[in-house]
Amino acid sequence: MSDWITITIDGRQIQAKDGELLTDAARRAGIDIPVFCSHPKLDPLGACRMCLVEQETPRGKLLITACTTPVREGAVFHVSSERAVDARQGTLELILINHPLDCPICDKGGECPLQDQTLKHGPGKSHFWEEKQHKAKNYPLSDLVLLDQERCIICWRCIRYLQEWEDKPQLGLFHRGGETVIDKFPGTELNAYTSGNVIDLCPVGALTNRLARFSYRPWELEKTPSICTHCGQGCNLRIDSRSHRVRRHVARENPAVNDEWLCDKGRFADGISFSADRLTVPLVRKDGRLQPATWEEALSRVVEGLKEVVDRSGPQAVGALASAKVSNEANYLLGKFMRGVLGSNNIDYREGSGLLADPRGLPALADVHSADLIVLIGCDPAEEMPVLANFIKRASIRRSVPLLIIHARRPELARYPGVFLNPAPGEEIPLFDALTRATLEARMEAGAEAIPDWLSAETPPAAFPAEAVQEAARLLLNAEKPFIAYGMDYAWGFGARGILAALVNWVAAAGHTERLGFLHIQANAQGAGDVGALPHQLPGRRPLNDEKARAELEALWQSTIPAQPGLGYSGMIDAAANGLLKAMYVMAADPVGEKPAHAEALKQLSFLVVQELFLTETAKLADVVLPAASYAETSGTFTNTERRVQRAPQAVRPLGKSAPDWLILMHLARRFAPDKQNAWNTTSPEAVFAEITRAVPQYRDMSWENLGEEGRQWPWDALSVSRELQAHNGGLLNEPDDEYPFRLVVGNQLWDGGTIFAATPQMAHLGIQAARLHPDDAASLGLAAGDAIEIRSQAGAIQTTLHLDPNIKPGTIFVPFSLRDAPVGTLFDSRGPRTVVAVSKVEAPVAAPA
Amino acid sequence: MSGLKDVIDGALEIGRAMGVTLKTAITEPPVTVEYPDQPMAVYPRFRGRHELRRYENGLERCIGCCLCEAACPTGAIYVEAEENDPEHPLSPGERHAKIYEVNLMRCIFCGDCEKACPTEAIVLGHYIDLAQYDRRDLLLTKEDLLNPPAPNTVIRPDA
Repeated sequence: MSDWITITIDGRQIQAKDGELLTDAARRAGIDIPVFCSHPKLDPLGACRMCLVEQETPRGKLLITACTTPVREGAVFHVSSERAVDARQGTLELILINHPLDCPICDKGGECPLQDQTLKHGPGKSHFWEEKQHKAKNYPLSDLVLLDQERCIICWRCIRYLQEWEDKPQLGLFHRGGETVIDKFPGTELNAYTSGNVIDLCPVGALTNRLARFSYRPWELEKTPSICTHCGQGCNLRIDSRSHRVRRHVARENPAVNDEWLCDKGRFADGISFSADRLTVPLVRKDGRLQPATWEEALSRVVEGLKEVVDRSGPQAVGALASAKVSNEANYLLGKFMRGVLGSNNIDYREGSGLLADPRGLPALADVHSADLIVLIGCDPAEEMPVLANFIKRASIRRSVPLLIIHARRPELARYPGVFLNPAPGEEIPLFDALTRATLEARMEAGAEAIPDWLSAETPPAAFPAEAVQEAARLLLNAEKPFIAYGMDYAWGFGARGILAALVNWVAAAGHTERLGFLHIQANAQGAGDVGALPHQLPGRRPLNDEKARAELEALWQSTIPAQPGLGYSGMIDAAANGLLKAMYVMAADPVGEKPAHAEALKQLSFLVVQELFLTETAKLADVVLPAASYAETSGTFTNTERRVQRAPQAVRPLGKSAPDWLILMHLARRFAPDKQNAWNTTSPEAVFAEITRAVPQYRDMSWENLGEEGRQWPWDALSVSRELQAHNGGLLNEPDDEYPFRLVVGNQLWDGGTIFAATPQMAHLGIQAARLHPDDAASLGLAAGDAIEIRSQAGAIQTTLHLDPNIKPGTIFVPFSLRDAPVGTLFDSRGPRTVVAVSKVEAPVAAPA
Repeated sequence: MSGLKDVIDGALEIGRAMGVTLKTAITEPPVTVEYPDQPMAVYPRFRGRHELRRYENGLERCIGCCLCEAACPTGAIYVEAEENDPEHPLSPGERHAKIYEVNLMRCIFCGDCEKACPTEAIVLGHYIDLAQYDRRDLLLTKEDLLNPPAPNTVIRPDA
């Protein structure tokens, strides 16, 4: 694109790109120009003056800042001339006038650019002997980020990050001259979801990690390149540990996934690996109580229990719940155990066969950087994937990309230019049909085919502004490279099949089916399906009746695989309730925590094994609880929502007597089927991955080594999915009535009450524990913000706090997942989450007098 | 002839030498130190068992900066730092050592930790009675280091 030119630095001719900044050109040529304010991901500013160099101009040699100077053909610079060196030394001396010398207690000490550059470029002596300026030390900007104003060198990186990437200018400069300080704007909070990135950006110890404060010195850390396992984006991070304890997470650069950013959940919520609530020994039920046991005892009990059920009721009476939270290796081995050892296809995970996700996930996350339209359907990246949300914001701000958002509540990204359509549950199909019709009409004007009969005949007029629908249809039809993502809201529960068909019709009418992708929320929802934790598909997403695939796997597993499909997630729980399923193996799943009514079903089982990190509600019912190792304690691979397989190597040793999932399953299989030991002889997670590459065709070219530090994607066209115009049937939802006047809207919020937050003590109080209602609806019910409310459906009731939010559509109530002690699943009836509820006030429970 | 003279000369020399020994044995006190009944004499800069010092107001000098740990050539020191409770600080400033351990089995008494310490908190003292019956007793905790035993030594003037 840009031409290569020649410039001269210190008499050396170097090649540079026309118009790039001198700092970048010099860096490529290996010439060191010190910087503080300049950062490759932030706009140039020239605030710190550390990069002063001399440029030859018609007016003579001038001192200029290299970080703001674009290079042109034939330009001549002097980096190490006496005047330039002198100027930089002077700058550093000025920066150090007020910088406190508390390096020994500063968390940045040891990895501090100011320390390094003072040694390398500083004068070594100061002219100043006066008392330093004193400003606020130990000043919390939020619960997560701590500011030391004395250490700040006013480089603006934090201010610029929040402006340029998060688009939430929450920090600013106050006062002037030597008294200049960084602070929050009056009346605002530092609550941006990616605020922690300013800690990585800060070139001194002014902004530090409040949770990891004083718990490490940089030189004593073991640094393990890993990934974040909180969401489907799979941001790259580095686990810094010492004496087998995770000390902090730091962002790691991967331009294709997270650039070099992390959200605050990924950065700060690292408590899972050392929480005091973790299970550290196997538990076995004796005399009706779960009691600590040895691994020997626990595994023998699991083998006995499963054998008894298989002998009595056959392998179809055993089911397994896998999990999108754990690695490919764990899911693969659980599938291999169920199919290859027990002989049952009853395996599924929560986001598995019940979720109408595209089996290929998303085409590519990086498409968002080049898209000319961003379409978000039933997903809210600002809450679900904050780093992706920042990319979307940047596309809107920097490249004026319109955002087309269809969501049941108004998400944060709806504040950017574009079209926002707000269907309540039940209104999606008419909306998509209207969009399809508008698209086809626009194409007919251009001489395309006719509108199919079923579309014009069946669709009622949509309750949406015609102009908005026309505009939305036109945007997608005219887009060349749209980024289209749909999310869980429209892919799950009653009627989802119809909604998805209607959505696909619209996208197909606009001619963009190959750009329609699914945004997985769980870290390994894509991978668990890829490696075969599905009741109707073998590893590699191949159908069970694929004889060739079965034969391949049977040879690899030395067993026979049943051809009839197994039960899905909810199917297994129903089967448990009516006694068809007798035993269950639950790995990192908590059906009872999601919906307490599931406990009744699981109590019917004659044998329940739970492999978990914590004693969950499900684990409390188990006959055997096996303590598993967390993401940091074992190696594994995770496949993110864009099919990128990434490594998460072991950073610390497992807590207590907990053991990695793969190792538990390996021992279990070898004990259960001594005759199949040759098929169960891998001795490391890396070897399990090698076996996966033989079992999953899409992973064939991969190996633990060649995944590298940035992972590898399997190709989008390795699987084809039929996406064409077709008639659909949504099914009718129950209508709100006087008894249940509100439609339920569920969804994810980043700051929730789930395990991740609960396990990190300093964050436990940050989770927002509330349902949200439109202020008008609340007023008509006589409710105020902060009231304790009860939300009731035909299935059950939960109690929580009320927040008022004008972004909620009137007539609906938003209840997030993972409310502490108030699982929204309680409200789900036979139609799943798409139900109606009533809201009423409850008096805050009064403490009984002693 | 000469043989006899040598014998007589030799006997005289031995007699003279024995005279010196006899004279010293009677007139000079013995130099052997009956350690441990008597204290050892060490030079002021002798490097014995480690101590963590306090300021006069009772606050710990150690700020948990871990520089001693970084300087230690044998990995004998382990430090974990913690934030001070502003109401009841253990040391001046924001940070103190939560754990401070010296492993005397590894220590080679080189004194690099003293040199690295920015607050002169860790010093090698004059206590030298280091023999123990249990390996665990050779692991000095912060408590041990802050409360050093009185050394069984006398300071010898620098020559």
